[in-house]
Amino acid sequence: MSFSRAFATALLLAAGSAVADLPPDKMGEIGTLPETWPPHWIIAHDVSYSHIRDGKSFVLDLDADSIGQQFKGMVNSSFAANFVQATTRPELYLAETFYSRGTRGERLDVLTIYDKRTLAPLGEVILEANQRAFIIPQRNLMKLTGDESLILVYNFSPAMSVSIVDAVGRKSLGTLPTPGCAGIFPTGTRGFSALCGDGSLYTANLDKSGKVASSSRSDVFFDVQDDPLMEQPAWIDGRAYFPSYQGNVVPVDFSGDKPVIGEPWSLLDDDTAGWRPGGLVPTAEDANGRMYVTMHPEGGDGTHKDPGLEVWVFDPVKQERLARLPLQVPGLSIALTRDKEQSLLIVTTVEMKLDVYDAASGELRRTLDNFGQLTPIIVFGAR
Amino acid sequence: MKWLDDMMEQGARGLARRSSRRSFMARLAVLIAGGAASVPLLPVARGSEHEPEIALDADPGDPTSCEYWRYCAVDGFLCACCGGTQSSCPPGTQMSPVTWIGTCRNPADDQDYIISYNDCCGKSACGACNCNRNEGDMPIYRPQLSNAYNWCLGTDSAFYNCSTSRVIGVARKS
Repeated sequence: MSFSRAFATALLLAAGSAVADLPPDKMGEIGTLPETWPPHWIIAHDVSYSHIRDGKSFVLDLDADSIGQQFKGMVNSSFAANFVQATTRPELYLAETFYSRGTRGERLDVLTIYDKRTLAPLGEVILEANQRAFIIPQRNLMKLTGDESLILVYNFSPAMSVSIVDAVGRKSLGTLPTPGCAGIFPTGTRGFSALCGDGSLYTANLDKSGKVASSSRSDVFFDVQDDPLMEQPAWIDGRAYFPSYQGNVVPVDFSGDKPVIGEPWSLLDDDTAGWRPGGLVPTAEDANGRMYVTMHPEGGDGTHKDPGLEVWVFDPVKQERLARLPLQVPGLSIALTRDKEQSLLIVTTVEMKLDVYDAASGELRRTLDNFGQLTPIIVFGAR
Repeated sequence: MKWLDDMMEQGARGLARRSSRRSFMARLAVLIAGGAASVPLLPVARGSEHEPEIALDADPGDPTSCEYWRYCAVDGFLCACCGGTQSSCPPGTQMSPVTWIGTCRNPADDQDYIISYNDCCGKSACGACNCNRNEGDMPIYRPQLSNAYNWCLGTDSAFYNCSTSRVIGVARKS
């Protein structure tokens, strides 16, 4: 510091500052989140395609204008993790796989319970089967039972099975083989169903200890070769609406202990004959009972994972299309917020950004980008 | 392989189908310039753009090209671009004993061959020469026909590196 500057500073100090000094910041302050997350918060699960050991799930506020306000926190989600959130307690669940030497060594499948208020682990359960299925993340690979007492994780070794975890007692209850049947579709109070390779449903109702209390197998109800059902239905009031490759829908009522399979109907009409559902997470639902499906034109063999150019909105009870929402950028996955009045549609675009639309008007509200994402291919509205 | 490359590939192919080639490539360039999210697209373009070197022998074609005859049902990064060949794994990886099978016609002798698409496992994704189709792909309840799964099964590590395309034999009608 030069003499003249030091002199000037001394004069200023002597005269006294008109502005109060900044108080020292506290050491070690850590942010927290509310127990119930606002309806416009989302969890964006980034499988981190080319670096899947370092997958992440971002907690984001869709109403905020700047990244500092949008980004609420994150949890790690290693190796195509499975994610599910409870509604009756402030907990998140992530099933992950780790190797003791990163990409090699001993394998360890772990279900971690996170506190929504701190995003810190509350506990963990070792998934003893060590056979968690590695699949592009979707919503039906890990689920809570209807009473939220059990967590079910789909396994593939390539034998198919389900790991059963006591969500409250935080302990493993074993593994149930589901030969030839995949996915987890919660059924009744404490059961689940799985779609089988012959076009039927397997259903198991479990007791509190995770043992099978009863099980059943439905008749074959769809054609697995010519018009297979996508394994990703929209869920409304205990009913699942499965779209098919050819653009039909099969409703299945999972609210009781035994699934009730409804009559198929078509998403298409004479003007939209060539359109097909497609994408990575092609269906979603809102709190008003509407079903959303990503749709693309000129569909055919092999287009069932193509991005949607539009999202179609249906009343699945009346089997009526309510709206066609054109997307600004083609979308691979969709989700909706949980609120009824200002529901937002979130679209993972082919550019790997999140476009947020007003679900009622179809107006693009904002695009979320540069929040550290690589491939945020599945989004969950906060529940 | 499978699943790893699907997500970006589907976006790219869907756009390609509905756009002129020129506009699609322009869009691809924007994506590549746009940052990390575009990274998986690069090998897609490279794999499909490669001009096959047709050799007039019993096994014609360029194994680093997606057009190579054995790749009729392949889905993943081509081991021939990753330090291996069309039938061998890159150094330090392990070949998965569990595979899915395709039947491909060899243009040299016009015979159908059974091809075994063994994955190479134990390292993370190679990233070069992505070659991927969904024709005939089925949901996860038909796993033998589903490319949503990672097929590095029965190996020491489930990490997927690349895919081989091994000739098993001539497919003969019984």
